[in-house]
Amino acid sequence: MAFVSIRDLKVSFDGVQVLHGIGLDIGRGEAVGLVGESGCGKSVTWLAALSLLPAKARISGSVRIDGQELIGAPGPEIEKVRGARIAMIFQDPSSSLNPVQRVGKQIMESLRLHRGLKGAMARTEAIRLMNMVGIPSAETRVDLYPHEFSGGQCQRIMIAMALAGQPDLLIADEPTTALDATIQAQILDLLSTIRRETGMAMVFISHDLGAVSAVCDRAAVMYAGKIVESNEITALFAAPRHPYTVGLLDAIPELDVTRARLQPIKGTVPDPKYLPTGCAFAPRCTHATDFCTTDQPELKRQPDSGLLACFHPAGRYKTETLTRREELV
Amino acid sequence: MLNFILSRMARAVMTLVMVMSFAFIVMRLSGDPATILLGPDAPQDAIDAFRARWGLDDPLWKQYLAYIAQIFTFDFGISMRDQMPALDIVLERIPATLAITLPAMILKLGIGIPAGVYAALHRESIADRGVITLSIFGFTIPSFVLALVLVLIFSVQLGWLPSGGQDSWQHAILPIVTLSVGGIGIMARFSRSAMIEVLGQPYIRTAMAKGLSWRDVVWKHALPNASVPIVTLVGFMVGALIAGAAVVESIFSWPGVGRLIVSSVANRDLAVVQCLLLVIASSMVAANLLVDIAYGLLDPRLRSKRSAH
Amino acid sequence: MTPILEARGLVQQYATGRSLFGKPPSMRAVDGVDLAVREGEILGIVGESGSGKSTLGRMLLGLETPFAGEVRWRGQPMPAPRTDMWRRLRAQMQLIFQDPLAALDRRMTIAAQIAEPLEIHGLMKGAEAAERVAELMARVGLRPDQADRYPHELSGGQRQRVVISRALAMRPKFLVCDEPVSALDVSIQAQVVNLLRDLQEQEGLTMVFISHDLKVVHNICNRVAVMYLGRVVEEGPSGEVFGDPRHPYTRALVSSIPKAGRGLTDRIILQGEPPNPAMRPPGCAFHPRCAIADAACAGEIPELSGHRGRLTACLKQRAIIPATAA
Repeated sequence: MAFVSIRDLKVSFDGVQVLHGIGLDIGRGEAVGLVGESGCGKSVTWLAALSLLPAKARISGSVRIDGQELIGAPGPEIEKVRGARIAMIFQDPSSSLNPVQRVGKQIMESLRLHRGLKGAMARTEAIRLMNMVGIPSAETRVDLYPHEFSGGQCQRIMIAMALAGQPDLLIADEPTTALDATIQAQILDLLSTIRRETGMAMVFISHDLGAVSAVCDRAAVMYAGKIVESNEITALFAAPRHPYTVGLLDAIPELDVTRARLQPIKGTVPDPKYLPTGCAFAPRCTHATDFCTTDQPELKRQPDSGLLACFHPAGRYKTETLTRREELV
Repeated sequence: MLNFILSRMARAVMTLVMVMSFAFIVMRLSGDPATILLGPDAPQDAIDAFRARWGLDDPLWKQYLAYIAQIFTFDFGISMRDQMPALDIVLERIPATLAITLPAMILKLGIGIPAGVYAALHRESIADRGVITLSIFGFTIPSFVLALVLVLIFSVQLGWLPSGGQDSWQHAILPIVTLSVGGIGIMARFSRSAMIEVLGQPYIRTAMAKGLSWRDVVWKHALPNASVPIVTLVGFMVGALIAGAAVVESIFSWPGVGRLIVSSVANRDLAVVQCLLLVIASSMVAANLLVDIAYGLLDPRLRSKRSAH
Repeated sequence: MTPILEARGLVQQYATGRSLFGKPPSMRAVDGVDLAVREGEILGIVGESGSGKSTLGRMLLGLETPFAGEVRWRGQPMPAPRTDMWRRLRAQMQLIFQDPLAALDRRMTIAAQIAEPLEIHGLMKGAEAAERVAELMARVGLRPDQADRYPHELSGGQRQRVVISRALAMRPKFLVCDEPVSALDVSIQAQVVNLLRDLQEQEGLTMVFISHDLKVVHNICNRVAVMYLGRVVEEGPSGEVFGDPRHPYTRALVSSIPKAGRGLTDRIILQGEPPNPAMRPPGCAFHPRCAIADAACAGEIPELSGHRGRLTACLKQRAIIPATAA
């Protein structure tokens, strides 16, 4: 059985459903990407799993870690999972650290909580972790405050804090989005290195398909609160099957092709209050039929590999895309 | 940090000198003290003698320097009405005022902050709505109206408490309650919004994701951050400890600084007015200084920004 | 061809603090930039935070007065701010920036916002203005029924279209776009990028496109200037600059972009922290993070000059043996 398994996870805010039954398995040591545009529910999935959503959120379904159910579990039980088994880092590193507490103290707080380290031992370990995530002269900077570090360094400190609890799974929620390109590359590199060295599993949430392919083995594409396609990274990008995945890949300009016009996906993401009855992507899909507007496709295992929720998957699109790319190169 | 405090203190002294200078200018503009005190019919030699006695014949700059020098030696002149040193008259009134403003202050903080924080932690609950409603009531009702209503109920109708004077501790109850109600409302409202603002910050989510209990998240991460804006408001309240009770003291015939302001202005007792102005300004400046130091202690971002040069 | 807009030796610096004695410390955001924008082209300016790209954009528009150097519009110096000449010129030059919601008045309808510049300049009124607004909305791909909506009722991409159509109302000749698509989702970003390309191709608009997103810049821009700590380190046609970057910084920047499906391959991971304009290293500002820098790089600020058919500001370019002829 998978290490973490999510089944039929649903979330709604004030009667508006934003997550429509997510199913996802994370194996030990595996790195899984969660891709999609803003509002598709990729962050909400994990905030719901760890009960980090505001109280007004209504959550149903199941999230199990090693068989232990988290949805509906009492507070103290979830607190034992947070940070110790599943740690999380966020998009805006500078405001994700407590501005009035020294960074060392914030790391030591996790060390005390999850490993019972106190005093000089905690301090030594905090410095070791800061060194490990690449903060230069950690011995002297352990007593500085977050505002005395750059955004990239704050993210490194967040990572050190997450590592303090020796988690089995790290959820990285858009960890590089707010950072500059060269710093982004540093953080992606750091995350890959740490995963190799510690063997922890990772979920990498991002709208940046490039960043996801840099650090993940497998990725799931989300649209309007559902997973529409998931596959191994190479297969997903070489032969995307869901028209939305195809559209996303076509919409991103690449550096190594000539300057062709981009192929945007027409229209906009639907308002979760007024979702289409059929497939949520149907109104924007160039190959949707009447059937797509009335029935919802289920996420099904495909014969070759991966999972897909589409009545008219691309195969045809795939060749078209490839020809377009080939003639441009 | 020491650097920071020293620079703040230097600024505080500068502010006081400016207040003194302002007081000096206003005094000179408000008419010739000799004619005001001696009356329009006074003989010329009496006026000359008065002017020589108070140094009013000297050039303005010399008068100004003498005035500043006097103040630095804590000589605030003699009250023209009571023939006593003005400073003594003012200082004598301070304990009475503090006897009602300090307990009121404790009530404002002791009730207002916990109520606001509780409301923020239980947002949109019945308790939260209750706190909002009561605090709006508290800070919208004018203190003279509240005072009269309280007197009507507790003195006239029920006869439980005296309506004025300073003879026993019971006399202090109504003034203290009147003084604190508005402040409790403001404090609750302000603490609530400061706390709500902080609870929405990403670092609170980080603290939860770390595995801290909700109690630890609130005490170790939310409250220290929320205290930064709350301290500003506390500073204002500390500054008003000496001068902020004029209306209430007048209504309850409480012999404090506030009533002295009213009577000395009415009597044109210039030395006392001037002395009051300086004592009040000093207390406000001192409160400001304390707020600044507290800011520096609470928020490292401000500390490093301010002591950068 | 004479450039439509030309910058010569532009410098901008800000005081970073106060000082009781002597000169207050200052920080150079832009440190000597020469740039020429040709009529009808889209010139990209790329760089990371602290590179001075936004400051440069505001100076090009005359929204900020340079500390030194000058901007020339069609061969003439920029008129002094808030003069009549300046206002007339401003109508021809428009700015579009990242956050459309901040650029729009949330209490005005879309149509009213687009008509506003026409009315302010007294160009059109009533039916004529309404017709022009409808035309502008159609131009940027907004539906007629959206005219009476308010900004918060639109999506981010639609709001950015409103901002663009309002900028177009005065029939400008020149647009500066400062990160116009950075806040938009991938699928919407492509729509706006295509719209900007159409405006250039069909109406001959000249643009300066400021962005940290190399992929978008590569797609939309004819030419590109790469900035590092207030100076242009490399400039050229975007295909050349991104296809065969010459300056070590451009190389690192290009290789730091993960490619969908492949991720980061053969990447150069730059060490060290992002540049801080308040602490500019001596000599070439990039040398502390540069893999090929030597002692000479710390001693001399390299000028942007031609090396092997390309414009770079790097002392090492003279010595580098051409890479396998591309």
